[in-house]
Amino acid sequence: MSAVATKKDTSAKWLEQFELTAANRLGAANTSVLEKQKQALAEFAKTGIPDKKVEDYKYTNIRLYLNDEFALKGAATKLRQSDVRHLFFGGHATIVMVNGRFVQELSSLKNLPREVVVKNLFSTYKETESGAGAEFNSLFTEKASPMALLNTALAQDGISINVPKGYNCVGPLHLLHISIGTDKVLYNPRHSIKVGEGANLTLIETYRSIDLGEKTFINSVTEIVVEKDATLNNYILQEEDAKASQNNVHQVSVGESGKFNSVTVSLNGALVRNDLNVAINGEHAEIHMHGLFIAKDGHLIDNHSLVEHNVPNCFSNELYKGIIADGGTGVFNGKIFVKQDAQKTNAYQSNKNILMGENSTMNTKPQLEIYADDVKCSHGTTTGKLDEEALFYLQTRGLNEAVARKVLLGAFAAEISDTVKDTAFRTLLEGRLQVHIV
Amino acid sequence: MLEIKNLQVSVEGKEILKGLNLKVNKGEVHAIMGPNGAGKSTLASVIAGKQDYEVTGGSILFNGKDILELSPDERAKEGVFLAFQYPIEIPGVSTINFLKTAVNEIRAYKGQGPMEAKEFLAMLKEKQKLVQIDTNLTGRAVNEGFSGGEKKRNEIFQMAMLNPQLGVLDETDSGLDIDALRIVAEGVNKLRSKDNAFLVITHYQRLLEYIVPDFVHVLYNGQIVKSGTRELALELESKGYDWIKKEFSEIPA
Repeated sequence: MSAVATKKDTSAKWLEQFELTAANRLGAANTSVLEKQKQALAEFAKTGIPDKKVEDYKYTNIRLYLNDEFALKGAATKLRQSDVRHLFFGGHATIVMVNGRFVQELSSLKNLPREVVVKNLFSTYKETESGAGAEFNSLFTEKASPMALLNTALAQDGISINVPKGYNCVGPLHLLHISIGTDKVLYNPRHSIKVGEGANLTLIETYRSIDLGEKTFINSVTEIVVEKDATLNNYILQEEDAKASQNNVHQVSVGESGKFNSVTVSLNGALVRNDLNVAINGEHAEIHMHGLFIAKDGHLIDNHSLVEHNVPNCFSNELYKGIIADGGTGVFNGKIFVKQDAQKTNAYQSNKNILMGENSTMNTKPQLEIYADDVKCSHGTTTGKLDEEALFYLQTRGLNEAVARKVLLGAFAAEISDTVKDTAFRTLLEGRLQVHIV
Repeated sequence: MLEIKNLQVSVEGKEILKGLNLKVNKGEVHAIMGPNGAGKSTLASVIAGKQDYEVTGGSILFNGKDILELSPDERAKEGVFLAFQYPIEIPGVSTINFLKTAVNEIRAYKGQGPMEAKEFLAMLKEKQKLVQIDTNLTGRAVNEGFSGGEKKRNEIFQMAMLNPQLGVLDETDSGLDIDALRIVAEGVNKLRSKDNAFLVITHYQRLLEYIVPDFVHVLYNGQIVKSGTRELALELESKGYDWIKKEFSEIPA
């Protein structure tokens, strides 16, 4: 294990680099973004990289995966589109990020409707029009996590996607993240997604690696606004190299009658930590959050979710399922806050896990805080071995133990992958599940 | 075909089968009757290869092969089928899908290639008709939300699809109304041939009115204490099991 970073070291080293690059990054045009970044860095410095002593990281000591040996920039890569094409699918418009940076030449945006505006997020902040950058970091009303603060401070690249009012974007948009290289690097991509009033978008994020030679850490933040009557389907596949780690924060705000459907599938990576924070800010909004993870030997998959019911008459449903191999560790923490005014809230949460070995570990914690009195809320969690009776039943039909196991685990996983509406992505998922379920 | 010799089986240290002998030939239907707790279901489970049972003595030969050495799926591939007393529900796994896997696994074991989709569908259609089960049920997750009768019919349907040499029916009649019982029994009767055999385990004589056995055995206290023909079942029906219990309770285990 590499040396544990101290608070002082990490903030000091990265702060230095921040100061050096800040001016070139944003230019003189945007002081508001720079100001927010400075504040975030100062805030981050108070805790540094979170370890077990920070409540939300009790089971996930980020310091075991990230320290100040990680540089903020890796060597340039020379990928051609032919090197990444196999990671495209369904003919979907694809935005390619390599090592946390948007690479226009590798992207395939010919199928992107001209109504949908995709830009480099930080280039929009350089624009001189007033108010540029006002949206940056605007969704973090509560205290952001140390990792989100770190991203806010150090982010230099990322994507801005804007679907205008009333526009129904039929084809999904694929945001492909590729990790590649031989340097120990921390990347801080930052995205901003806005689905305007009455508009629709399906955003598919995939995280893959190509010939990764060193440990990498993606510390990503995506701010998402789903406006009134808008719908966002947000599908995520995390299948990086076993050397790669990521902390992925999705900060979501949903407006009146808005719909947000997320499916997060985590199949590989030394550490995968997801924070999915959804604030429901308009009445009659509907939220579905699905998750599936396979934690392999030595891997840690941690899903933290937060649903804030701030207003009445909304619905949220959450189902996360985990398969934890021998030696693997899973974490689920699901918070639901129902504010005092949020009457007639329906909020449901369920977490089901299968432990495959003697040394499989699952830490699960449902957390409901309800301050309204006229609500329907429930939560439940089950963690156990694969059903022996079902295994025997299938064996008596001629399926050997390995095949029977695969059939049962496949069915367990399918409950999540079946919620994906885009056929091409669902097919991709099913194929990847076949590979990872053993 | 099936030869069980001096079979002794324990569950968690308790002896359930205490030297059971049984021989079943091709083309025969044997009924195993007996009071609750006699060891009937244990016998069915041990033949199928359930792990919770410890075989402490004796042997089970199937076509001359010692199947106690085989895993449950290998026994199935050799031609043994167990219709469960309590068929379980398996969410997310459709009967048709896993049967396709099962059929091809069994074929691979016999050195045959996978079945053509067209052929499989034709067989599916034919066997569904045989047990009067709807595509609606077989296309759904195994037994999920099925009634008791539908679950049992699904067992016989699976047996028809896998076409075993030996079908072990563990209290297939329990929980069935008379109509469901008749459908299930008719299904079994249609599957009877000179090349296969059935072991019908039941508490009541009722099922045997529909599936007429060649031999009837009474299992009591872990042993077969009486064997006979169909008349023995009728005698048990009229007299109950008490006379068996009285007559054989003195037998030392």
